[in-house]
Amino acid sequence: MSQEREVSQEMQNAFVDGQLDAADWTALVERMGRDEALRRSVCELRTLKDMTRSAYADVHSGRAASAPDRARWARVAAVALAFAATGWLAHDALAPGRVLTELRGVAADRILVHIASSRGEVVDPALQEVEDYLHDARAAGRPVKVEIVANSTGMDILRADTSAYAARLERLRAAYPNLTYIACNQTADRLREKGATVTLLPGVQVAPTALDEIVKRMQEGWVYIRA
Amino acid sequence: MRITGLFGVSAQFRGRVEAQREPLYRLAYSWCHDAGLADDLVQETLLRALDRAGQLNDPQRLKGWLCAILANCLKDHFRRARPLEPLDEEMPAQGETPEGASASNQVAARVRAEVERLPLGQRQAVTLVDLEGFSYAEVAEILEVPVGTVMSRLCRAREALRARLIDFAAGENNKVRSIR
Repeated sequence: MSQEREVSQEMQNAFVDGQLDAADWTALVERMGRDEALRRSVCELRTLKDMTRSAYADVHSGRAASAPDRARWARVAAVALAFAATGWLAHDALAPGRVLTELRGVAADRILVHIASSRGEVVDPALQEVEDYLHDARAAGRPVKVEIVANSTGMDILRADTSAYAARLERLRAAYPNLTYIACNQTADRLREKGATVTLLPGVQVAPTALDEIVKRMQEGWVYIRA
Repeated sequence: MRITGLFGVSAQFRGRVEAQREPLYRLAYSWCHDAGLADDLVQETLLRALDRAGQLNDPQRLKGWLCAILANCLKDHFRRARPLEPLDEEMPAQGETPEGASASNQVAARVRAEVERLPLGQRQAVTLVDLEGFSYAEVAEILEVPVGTVMSRLCRAREALRARLIDFAAGENNKVRSIR
């Protein structure tokens, strides 16, 4: 009597996950009928699958699916209309180095710059462009406002103990009162949960989340730029 | 630097993206086991999705597309956190430990703790299949790996979970609630 080949673990998992075609599925069911060890193994896999699914069934985001969230998305819709009306739909992907020219071209006077990384290749050009923009606006006598919103590892630039840009940011803030720094409280909370002491640079304000601040400003007509 | 396209997408698209917020959060949490980081990742995923709405060629694949963005957000997070370390599947989660798990449901806490111990690639494969019901081909597309890799990661994940949980399950199985 020939011994049947062992059913591979891949095959058993594919059975449990509904990934077998009809012929393989039927063959495996028939085999389970006469192979107790296989039957037990497949049952265990099925149990593990149910346990994994159940273990995360009650995981919910604190802010998800709430009324404020729906309101936030409604605000985004309203902002989309506002941008469409002012011709911004044509500017959804500006090349590096052209941003300020493009902004001057449409007379943008309120700009939010979102920094989500502390890497120099992200932060350095962002700060340089902001400084150039503020300088040009002042020279032209245009009353502009710029807000730098930082989250994720970008928060590091606004923290007293981690920022490699503290002196530069302070100099910019002193030179341009129309420049504001905003830290993401959600990121700060996460850092605190990990035991970090979050001390922000002087003058840095806090928003509940970076997304909240971005959407709020867009609703108010600000232009959003991702560094 | 570039202006993102938070505008110019339809209300219908935004609604469909919003509807995926909870599943995305659950998935993000199962990958990192860090509520704050999961929130950050979902936030970033939603922003990127709105920014790149035009890249979704098939509206029926929205969920997989969002999960792929989420996976890339997590990759980016690890790159920023550990620029010198390779992004391989041996990287463990950074959140709670099995001993420190404190969910109210002891079974759920134990299972989450064991899922958390899995290498990232295995954790992603098993949660994409078990939590969200993706096919192996869809998981392969989301994680940008061959289907064979998905199957091997899934096998190793389930074998690890079997070794650590099946005896526990034998005593607790009746208490496990199915969400189906």
